[in-house]
Amino acid sequence: MPKTTYAKKQSGFATVMKQMSKNKAAMLGLLILSTEIILAILAPYIIPYDYSYMDMANMFAKPSASHLFGCDDMGRDIFSRVLYGARYSISIGIIAVSIGSAIGCTIGAISGFFGGQVDNIIMRLLDIIQAIPGMLLMIVISAVLGPGYFNTIIALSIGSISGMARMLRAQMLKERENEYIEAAQSINCSKFRIITSHLLPNCISPMIVSATMGVAQTITIAAGLSFIGLGVQPPIPEWGAMLSAARQFIRQAPHLVYFPGLAIAVTVLALNLLGDGLRDALDPKLKN
Amino acid sequence: MLKYVLKRLIWMIPIVLGVAILVFIMMTFCPGRPEEIILGPSATETELAAKRLELGLDDPIVLRLGRYMSDVFIHFDLGKSWLTNVDIISSIKERLPRTLMLTVATLLISVGIGIPLGVIAAIKQNKWQDSVCMVLALVGVAIPNFWLALLLVLQFSVKLNWLPALGIGTGLAGIKFYILPAISGSTGGLASCARQTRSAMLDVIRADYITTARSKGVPERDVIMKHALKNSLIPIITVMGTMFGHFLGGAMIIETIFAIPGMGTYIIEAVNSRDYPIVQGGSIFLAITFSFCMLIVDLLYAMVDPRIKAQYASGRKKRKVKANA
Repeated sequence: MPKTTYAKKQSGFATVMKQMSKNKAAMLGLLILSTEIILAILAPYIIPYDYSYMDMANMFAKPSASHLFGCDDMGRDIFSRVLYGARYSISIGIIAVSIGSAIGCTIGAISGFFGGQVDNIIMRLLDIIQAIPGMLLMIVISAVLGPGYFNTIIALSIGSISGMARMLRAQMLKERENEYIEAAQSINCSKFRIITSHLLPNCISPMIVSATMGVAQTITIAAGLSFIGLGVQPPIPEWGAMLSAARQFIRQAPHLVYFPGLAIAVTVLALNLLGDGLRDALDPKLKN
Repeated sequence: MLKYVLKRLIWMIPIVLGVAILVFIMMTFCPGRPEEIILGPSATETELAAKRLELGLDDPIVLRLGRYMSDVFIHFDLGKSWLTNVDIISSIKERLPRTLMLTVATLLISVGIGIPLGVIAAIKQNKWQDSVCMVLALVGVAIPNFWLALLLVLQFSVKLNWLPALGIGTGLAGIKFYILPAISGSTGGLASCARQTRSAMLDVIRADYITTARSKGVPERDVIMKHALKNSLIPIITVMGTMFGHFLGGAMIIETIFAIPGMGTYIIEAVNSRDYPIVQGGSIFLAITFSFCMLIVDLLYAMVDPRIKAQYASGRKKRKVKANA
């Protein structure tokens, strides 16, 4: 009797990583991002100065060996502040998108699976929310909640719900028509089981990609909110808040403006590279 | 076609009503007492109570909402600013054109540079021109527009003194006040426009009718411009629709940086001073503007794609317009 050999079963994660490792740009994005996250976690131990330590002798000091990125208007070391700020900026993006996706996906799944009146009502409510330009919605929500780290996270989570819900719904509608769902229904699977173990796993790839891109976008929006004074407040070294404070000294000390902005740009770039790579790895159909 | 436009216009009514209710309810939950901000810290309790009564802040929320909705949608009156007592509609009339001017300028820059970049990248696929365009697009997405705004001000206003950093001007000279704001707002849209154009062109460029056009001797220029680009416009227009919303929202921050007295600065100042009627009225107007633009985008689809036009004309209900049908 011939012996059957089976290919070693690989987890979905391993397959995706293998696919992605061929994509240099995506790997670069992953490298930058993981370095940033590790630096952010270790920030309290590796920053050369305390991020709130004021040294008036070094007010507006230019970048030098002792202060890599220079010092701000209160003589605080900008390098330490940017590094410590990564904790705030990156965590806001990741937490807000996670919460927003969880709620948005639940709403989208309910809407997409049940259809009919439920779908209709949910979609009309989302229509109303989407008629308000995104930034305006965030500004109003932030005004209601008040400034601060946690409130900014909540505002951004609420803001990202409708996009996620719509996207998952569209995926669900497409996926619902497949035979395997009919098969699951015919063996009397509960609706909950069909949604969670059959539909969701098949809709998840585009959601992961858009969540990755969403983190990038959220980091920018969070910085924007802090920039106009509605997000995280100084003296917390969030990148947007730092830029906002640096703005008034743009003439005498332009280096105050360079580094926090560069930090945002590099992070967003890395997330976009990673998102592109994930999209190609998860769904080869979308590749061009 | 006309029927479709009418249907869409009628559908905007519940949306605008919904936006008005939503923003009204959100604003009532705002922390901080508006009468304290209006009267300042020196006001006595009796003065504060009188102001509350005058503004009707002590009434139940349902009553206030009803009063507001009847003012706005029956008398077409958005009320007056609590702080300055200036009529809100007349302020919006003055400010909305500036925001629209900024948004349209931003859109023109994005499309005017984004589409050519995408076309070049697609024609020269996998060559150095392609790489350069796509790297530019990546950088464009990554740069936060308020940071770019600061860098541009630093370079062109502070160092070179070519362009004004703040405010607005009148007449033709006023255009130069919009150059830096429009450029700084456009990078994200420009980048997504370039990427979308590239992938849409690549989809189309391998189609049989392109080969046919080439084989019957149509000049390459015409093949690209008339055959390929025109057929890849639909996904690009979709991007433009969402871009417009982004720009309208993004204009709020850009206006703050460049001190342009548009809708963005109006609403943000009102948010900070708890001037609720301005936030509510401003949001309603921006939502209406946004909905109109989405309608225009949908009509543009019909202009570039006769198949969609035929669908509207036949008036078939509930037939979804598929972009890539």
